[in-house]
Amino acid sequence: MTPGAAASPGILTLTHASVHLGDQLALDDVSVNLDQPRIAVIGSNGSGKSTFARLLGGLVTASAGTVSVHGLDPTRQSTEFRRAVGFIFSNPDAQIIMPTVAEDAAFSLRADRLRKAESAARVTAALERFGLADLADRPAHDLSGGQKQLLALCGALIREPRLVIADEPTAYLDARNSRLIADHLLGDASRQLVLVTHDLALAACCDVAVLFEGGRMIASGHPTEIIGRYESSLAC
Amino acid sequence: MLTLYRPGTGWLHRAPAGAKALVILAAVLTVSLLPSTYPFAAIALGSALVAYLVTGFGVAVLARQLVGLRWVILITLGAQLIFLPTEPAVANTSRVVGAVLIASLLVLSTRVVDLLDAFERGLGPLRRVGIDPARVSLVLAITMTTIPVLTRVATSIREAQRARGAGRGIRSFIIPFLVLSLKHADDLGDALTARGAA
Repeated sequence: MTPGAAASPGILTLTHASVHLGDQLALDDVSVNLDQPRIAVIGSNGSGKSTFARLLGGLVTASAGTVSVHGLDPTRQSTEFRRAVGFIFSNPDAQIIMPTVAEDAAFSLRADRLRKAESAARVTAALERFGLADLADRPAHDLSGGQKQLLALCGALIREPRLVIADEPTAYLDARNSRLIADHLLGDASRQLVLVTHDLALAACCDVAVLFEGGRMIASGHPTEIIGRYESSLAC
Repeated sequence: MLTLYRPGTGWLHRAPAGAKALVILAAVLTVSLLPSTYPFAAIALGSALVAYLVTGFGVAVLARQLVGLRWVILITLGAQLIFLPTEPAVANTSRVVGAVLIASLLVLSTRVVDLLDAFERGLGPLRRVGIDPARVSLVLAITMTTIPVLTRVATSIREAQRARGAGRGIRSFIIPFLVLSLKHADDLGDALTARGAA
């Protein structure tokens, strides 16, 4: 599992993947196989790590190369892909679709066409798990930042995806809420996690880290080693 | 606040959203079509009072709704008093207030999700002419949730203007507001895709 490695059947596989956003080359010829449960993605602002996450999450398409996530092509198998992959953004405001907390959690299940009782039971269980049960009927946009991000997490995880991609999920949060979100994300070994973060302590908790710079993936390996390399590149 | 739903277990809460919407629509139409006289004005407001009592919401919820309608009442009554005699002006305002109060029972007793489901079912026949009811109901839901977000965006722009010593110029407000609104629309589009709705 090294940058530029030949594609083999890993869980997340990028083969010579590039992404253009307008005229700008946001991701430049990335090839990698990642099969670890918790993957940290680090790098400076504008280094390409969010584009990498969005490519894995099927939110942007590769202008060159191929992407395979758990054996699924995000473009050609979009329905199965959406069931398998959950995405959490840094700004929870943009993720809230429905007016109240319970309704927003239930929104994620609409595509599954569940029976009403089953959907309600899953929503109740999910809200309890994320400590939002008492807020079920509150307007979602009146919640605090931490509660909104918990709701966003709840909305993504209620569908029980096999892979969760979190793009700087703690960016707007205080230390306590960051810890809470991190515990939820890192604590469940049953699903794979791709965590884009500037919080190097969080990155250190992962099984592997990848480092981006100038749109290229320049290193991957044990988090301690990769974080050390990143920190040394920051030294004045 | 755009979210008016009040949790409860009464018969109106338990009634199916579609049937409830039709019955309330019929009641609203009936109140709207009453003649513009004092007795019928009393009937319009009395119907609203009875409706709140029999559905279990009570006088306190009715009073809160009335407070929320205070500007509607003032503007409707004030505008009509300029052009009409007192009796039709008061009666028309009473019919409007009665109708809005009765219509509010629908959103007070029904979750938005259930309303959207009923709306989707009701629009089902439009599939034949190429309209997707699920998309129409999704647009309604997004509209409801986007208004508070854009209100917050507007507030933060005004605060930023004040912090930088700028006046309340419309141009210096509109451009960042449009940019941030479009950014929000982009983010929302991504979220809808990520949540399997697009």
